[in-house]
Amino acid sequence: MTTVTKSGILTYDRTLGVAAMDARGFYYAVALAFRSDGRLFVQGRSHDGDTRGARITVMDYDSGYYGDFGSYGSGDGQFTWPTDIALDSEGNVYVTDEYLQRVSVFDSDVNFVKKWGTQGSEEGMINGPSGIECDADDNLLIVDHNNNRIQKFTRDGIFLKSFGSEGTAEGQFNLPWGLRVAPDGQIYVADWRNDRIQRFTSDGEFVAAYGESGDGEGQLYRPASVEIDDAGYMYIADWGNERVQVFDPDGGFVQLLKGQATTSQWAQEFLDANLDENRARSESDLEQYHLLTTDDPHEVASQIETIFWSPISVRFDSEGRLFVLERNRHRIQVYAKSM
Amino acid sequence: MTNHDIELMAHLMRRAGFGATRDEIERYAAQGYDATVDMLMDTSQSDGIQIDLIRRYHPDHSGGLGMAGFGAFWLHRMINSQTPLVEKVALFWHGVFATGYAKLAQGKVLMDQIQMFRDHGFGDLRTLLVELSRDPSMIIWLDNNDNHNGAINENYGRELLELFSMGVGNYTEDDVKEASRAFTGWTVGNTEYMKLKADNDSLWPYGRLNLHFEFRDYDHDQGEITFLGHTGTFNGEDIVDIICDQQATARFIARHMYSFFVADEPPVPSWPYTPPRDAEALDIMSEAYFNGGCTIKPMLDTMFRSDFFKSESVWYEKVKSPAELVAGVLRLTGEHRSYSPAIQEDANAMGLMGQTLVNPPSVEGWHWGDEWIDTGNLVERINFASEHFSKDFTAGIADTVDADITARGGSVQPHELVDTCLDHMGAIRITETSRKSLIEHVARDGDVKLNGGGSGRSRIAEMVQLIGATPEFQKG
Repeated sequence: MTTVTKSGILTYDRTLGVAAMDARGFYYAVALAFRSDGRLFVQGRSHDGDTRGARITVMDYDSGYYGDFGSYGSGDGQFTWPTDIALDSEGNVYVTDEYLQRVSVFDSDVNFVKKWGTQGSEEGMINGPSGIECDADDNLLIVDHNNNRIQKFTRDGIFLKSFGSEGTAEGQFNLPWGLRVAPDGQIYVADWRNDRIQRFTSDGEFVAAYGESGDGEGQLYRPASVEIDDAGYMYIADWGNERVQVFDPDGGFVQLLKGQATTSQWAQEFLDANLDENRARSESDLEQYHLLTTDDPHEVASQIETIFWSPISVRFDSEGRLFVLERNRHRIQVYAKSM
Repeated sequence: MTNHDIELMAHLMRRAGFGATRDEIERYAAQGYDATVDMLMDTSQSDGIQIDLIRRYHPDHSGGLGMAGFGAFWLHRMINSQTPLVEKVALFWHGVFATGYAKLAQGKVLMDQIQMFRDHGFGDLRTLLVELSRDPSMIIWLDNNDNHNGAINENYGRELLELFSMGVGNYTEDDVKEASRAFTGWTVGNTEYMKLKADNDSLWPYGRLNLHFEFRDYDHDQGEITFLGHTGTFNGEDIVDIICDQQATARFIARHMYSFFVADEPPVPSWPYTPPRDAEALDIMSEAYFNGGCTIKPMLDTMFRSDFFKSESVWYEKVKSPAELVAGVLRLTGEHRSYSPAIQEDANAMGLMGQTLVNPPSVEGWHWGDEWIDTGNLVERINFASEHFSKDFTAGIADTVDADITARGGSVQPHELVDTCLDHMGAIRITETSRKSLIEHVARDGDVKLNGGGSGRSRIAEMVQLIGATPEFQKG
């Protein structure tokens, strides 16, 4: 069901990116964030068997490519298991690393500045930092996922406060993943293993929870990321169900996106230079649903190239277009709003 | 319970799993041998694997671009599964139906094949062989995508008979051709593009695209086929039906199973010329196969409860494959119970020992047995065990040895240290000569005292390392 709301409905716009172990493209990218000038920063995670793709790719909506920075490792400016990326009002870049237990900081010219973080469970310590966001005061909110809490730090890593604990009750978490600070300052958390989104005031007071376990409309399975618009609508990367869902401000189901990727500019340039694959691909049916022997969303997504596979990060650009990053497809599908 | 009960249980857990600690062995021995076999054979139990967590932390265990990630994914399962026999049976079938990354260039489709072995590896052979024939990785691996009506490619038809079911000498060349005709039209969707991506090792533009089976009726030979004395307009399923009814199939699968779970047999190519080590055992397992309606589970069940399996004459008569060795060591040390990049390095170690999972040297698979321990591989195996038994003395086996000695007052004589370590490493029985050598080694520095310092602990760690290098530990 698709309901036209005051926030409008999302319609497919375009696909960005291409799989690439280095330079232009993504390799198991896990997070995206926008700079105020519209530049898009995409955090590549790569994988343990081939670490070349751990980097941040800088690009824009028009497929402009502006280089990449960072690499795999444990040294300064390097990542092992990077999980999320955030930018502050000055364009400084913050990256969480859930294996190295730290936040790496780069300046607006993407030079490494410093790293901070101490592993532990006491206040101010972190264990598995995943989602990271910069609030209106340029403080950092971090999902401290193995400690099942959200912590707030200054940009320099000085602890300010925390909220949340392990559990299923209101305000508790089970391995939360992404978070988002809404335009009104409220905090939304993808409470991953509780299959819900939780909303908090800017002070960390519980407000509401949305969603329940399942694969029906309005149900979630392992949500990874959430985005909020000015009207309070939630745009949820329903990661375990391989889809994106839109909820209204009260949690009512609005729209379901399954993905409908087309050939990105970077993909087309690859195909133009590899004519044998281009020809074979053009003669193929990339949506052979009739041959599937499974309805497991993960398996279906592995076989149908156009649909989302591991939608992991959702963010609006300044024009109100929703960018959906797919980790396992190494690309971004963009949706525009229409009334 | 007697010491024999303990040692027998240790033998069962080495063969039907990846070994067990002394505590686990005692627990299983207390419930009894038959009850433990029941437990191992109960495939309805949850394996306890947290697939959502794996996919969250390890992108390639989800996306399956390459084979390296797959090796780590399977190793995690071998270490952590609460149904180790399911993993062991999947490893068994991977050895029999060896399919390799080299012609596929993607991990996901191979992950799916191994999952199919978990799902169907205990069931009726017909289903397993039909699923294998439909398996996209097998189709590409053995070129059945090039097997067309009027222009057969016999690669799959031949190996189905020669390596997967009956063995050389039990069919004719005409049977190979006729079987191949029956499998014409069994291919994968988007054949040309999928094959081209594999040949080019292309992950562009959007990663690997997993394959799926497609039956093309228009490319299937509808003519009359004569196979093993049966004539009809056969499709692949009919060929599999006929294969499953053959005595030769039962004995061939039984010999594979005996070699994997009981005692090493020579490589498959020599089977027509080399009698089996225990022909009577193969008879018993073949009978169980037919009595169970051509099903695998009764063969396994009969085997594990048989005298030929329990006999001390077959204990330590199998060289552990690299996968068994690595998973066994890591189960003992307690490593990789959670998620970290470090599991990749340990998975890669299997390759250094000669076994990169889903990348066998050929369709014949790996040659098991003594070939695992040529000079270079043996050094890798011993170094791996030694490194892991020494590097984390606060976890796993070393911790339990330490606790045991502490409970005895913190001081033990050399022979007690040796026996305690052997016990905690899985009730290992070594030759008296080896045991004496180990005791003499310890005795050079006198009794072992856990006096709060590091010397006693390091001597325990050293003993665990030395036992890891013994033939009995390297075997199983």
